Amino acid sequence: MIESLIRILERENVEWELYWEKGRGGSFRIENERLERSQRKFHSGIGLRVGYRGKLGFSYITGLNHDKETLEEFVKRTIKLAKVSEVPFRGFPSEKSPAKVKGLYDKRIDDIPFEDAHAIARDFAEKMAELKAGREEYTLSGSLAFGVNFYGIANSNGIFLEDRSTGMSVSTYAVKKGTKTGSGSYYQSYRSLQPFEELEVAVEKAVEEAHLNYMAEKLLPYKGELLLEPQAFRAIVGIFLENLFGDNVYYGRSRFTKLGEKVSSEELTLIDDATVDGGVGSYPFDGEGNPGKKTVLVERGTLKGFLLDETYARLLGIESTGNAVRDFRTVPHVGTSNVVVEPGEESLDDFEGVVVKKVFGEHTANPISGDFSLTVELGYVVKDGEVRPFKDNMLVGNVFELFNSVVAVGKEFERVGSFYSPRILGIGKIV
Amino acid sequence: MERLVRVAEELARRYRISYYEIRITKVSASHLTMQNGQLEELSVNTEIGIGVRAFNGAWGFSSANDMERAEKAIETAMKIAKLSKGDSRIYLDDPTKDRAELPMKRSFLDMDIEDKLALVKEVDSLLRGDSISNRSVSYGDGVKEQLYFNSLGSEIETVVPRIRLSFSVTAKGGGDMQTYWKSFGGTAGWELMEGIDLTHWTAFVREKAISLLEAKSPPSGGFDVIMDPELTGVFIHEALGHAAEADSVKTGESILAGKLGERIAVEELTVVDDPTLPGKFGSYIYDDEGIKARRVEIIKDGVLINYLTDRETAALLNLKPNGHGRAQSYNYQPLVRMGNTYVEPGDWSFEEMLAEVKRGLYMIGDKGGEVDTANGTFTFGAKEGYIIENGEIKEQVRDVALSGKILDVLRSIRAIGKDLAIEFPGYCGKGQWVPVDDGGPHVLTRAVVGGLL
Repeated sequence: MIESLIRILERENVEWELYWEKGRGGSFRIENERLERSQRKFHSGIGLRVGYRGKLGFSYITGLNHDKETLEEFVKRTIKLAKVSEVPFRGFPSEKSPAKVKGLYDKRIDDIPFEDAHAIARDFAEKMAELKAGREEYTLSGSLAFGVNFYGIANSNGIFLEDRSTGMSVSTYAVKKGTKTGSGSYYQSYRSLQPFEELEVAVEKAVEEAHLNYMAEKLLPYKGELLLEPQAFRAIVGIFLENLFGDNVYYGRSRFTKLGEKVSSEELTLIDDATVDGGVGSYPFDGEGNPGKKTVLVERGTLKGFLLDETYARLLGIESTGNAVRDFRTVPHVGTSNVVVEPGEESLDDFEGVVVKKVFGEHTANPISGDFSLTVELGYVVKDGEVRPFKDNMLVGNVFELFNSVVAVGKEFERVGSFYSPRILGIGKIV
Repeated sequence: MERLVRVAEELARRYRISYYEIRITKVSASHLTMQNGQLEELSVNTEIGIGVRAFNGAWGFSSANDMERAEKAIETAMKIAKLSKGDSRIYLDDPTKDRAELPMKRSFLDMDIEDKLALVKEVDSLLRGDSISNRSVSYGDGVKEQLYFNSLGSEIETVVPRIRLSFSVTAKGGGDMQTYWKSFGGTAGWELMEGIDLTHWTAFVREKAISLLEAKSPPSGGFDVIMDPELTGVFIHEALGHAAEADSVKTGESILAGKLGERIAVEELTVVDDPTLPGKFGSYIYDDEGIKARRVEIIKDGVLINYLTDRETAALLNLKPNGHGRAQSYNYQPLVRMGNTYVEPGDWSFEEMLAEVKRGLYMIGDKGGEVDTANGTFTFGAKEGYIIENGEIKEQVRDVALSGKILDVLRSIRAIGKDLAIEFPGYCGKGQWVPVDDGGPHVLTRAVVGGLL
């Protein structure tokens, strides 16, 4: 069907790009240790971009089975949109070799019968019930998901690429209730089918965190050195990254205008890497057919790169970093792949002092000024080897100041989905 | 359609499914975005899809956006339900047959895309000004036509239009940059756009962004805080609304679980969620479980009297479903969600409220929020604020976020204003995005302010 669509497009005097997808997913929701909701979803569709006399038109259709008449109509409609649209057309990428990335597809996930996936979810729920036994103060819930996606991109510059990927994710949530309440959660995603032990770990981690959270008290205001665990640092990095998106840079919505600026202490190196083997944010080619790349964004404190798709790369006069993210319903936009904070040399394992584990509310921060006030979901103070958890405080500061204040970066990194980071030691304020 | 009803009945018999429901949805939408005078997106699309839920003590769900797979989706949902056999119950009502439409005075479906483009261009040019480094305009409209039918014999056809315009500017100066924005939206037609005083609001947004360049970071710590109607809206949505959604009560996660009938707030506080308010962004006629939307008083005179419910949580808690089962679209299962949430007005004037505050903050505008319903902790941002000293408004502050404990803050409310406004359209995320509105009058309470000073 894609071939007949291409034949129709080739008849027209336009530049064109097709992005098609076909996928399915099974997901399961466990509430109060019981499997309550199971679902199986199918999706497919084609997004078409057309460049005509310097203008761009975009439209999509769902499904991959259409008769010739529907396809002709689809092409006609998109060309018509290009004629009226006034959206400038910046050109499509030319043919390049995709990156070689291993471990993005696991046949076992693609082949798993729904009944088997359902049985794993049921076992997962039973495991929760088992872990809860004797600990009635806990309520456990969670979810499990499997998915497979086939996708392809073709354009009038000769690009024709197809690939497939799989995914699996697990999340757990634990609430401990007694004279007060504590909650804990865990989330992880993968490209390959995971052994059942991974699900057990997910439950145990949420329970452990709920207990710490239950014990936590409010901390007295504090200012000084503090250790950010990877999940807390992810929120801070997210605020910073807004300034590196090519569209924000081009449109004056970024703090930065040029590369080479010193943006953090020399301890920090930040990378966007679409080529991590088995990475949940990895891809051989992006949503426009440009190869996935490893892009150094900040190297030992110096700003080295922006995140770019083809459009903003051309507008800024730099090469695309292969960061066009999309699905068939949307035009490509700039996004991240895997975000990696390079490990440092410090062990930081026996750190004593204030540690922030999880925060929330980062979308209320101001990425340009860099000011943030985040609610501390969980933190703890380590003193003489003893751990005293805290919560209900706010972590306040300025992302650029915090980046500059980083004095040490841990040796080992932890992965949460597509974010990789070690522990970070910097200066901050808790109110 | 009749064929699908027959197929569904037959499959339900074969798989011995006690209850099922099917939604077939068609959405026609247009979307335009512009930055710094450059059109970035102009799209007009129509999408049709089917979502099927089957119940057998637990839910099975399947969806497809290729209508050739419609029968397959029905069968898949039923197969999953058969496999899932649980011991939950759901509320079953009498069949409803209805066709209902939220009206548009002037249908945006009849308008040319050129007219919509002209509006976007006009807003963009009105936003121009010295010190403005970025102008962004986003316009969207869509009509959702939904056909709902279930195994009880309900057949409900609804047509809901939604329209939205939002714009923002980033001002640059003195080595700093600040952004300010404004959104308009509702379940209405083009008349909503015609009713906006664009000259006033574009100037307002521009001036606010520029003034914020000079504003200071607020102090931090516990303060008396007066929230404006927009911030009251996000506060009540985050701090109370989410905890009142009965699915979080069901899982024991909500801090409000087991508190029905208890006084949880000051006597003056009444909080309502009402999806039937005409023209509001979070309004709808029937929810995605075929239950008619209705006004729900969550807190009445300080007492928690109701949760927001769907078929499942209503059966579990021995309540009636109040039409709050909403899905992002056909390919999502309904979850308990808010519609238009607001605080009922009290009898304080703004001046009287101000006079109450010795040292505190007047906080304005919604910058989003988040809540941990189990711990009862919430955080949300304000677009701007002002220091209050001895009842007088002093200097402007920026980048203000608030945090607090739900029950503490509800009990610390000292004054509720007379000036009700519910006109702050937005989207609420809970694994799925749904359109909501919220608001209230000015409210004086106490919260933790996370400032840099």
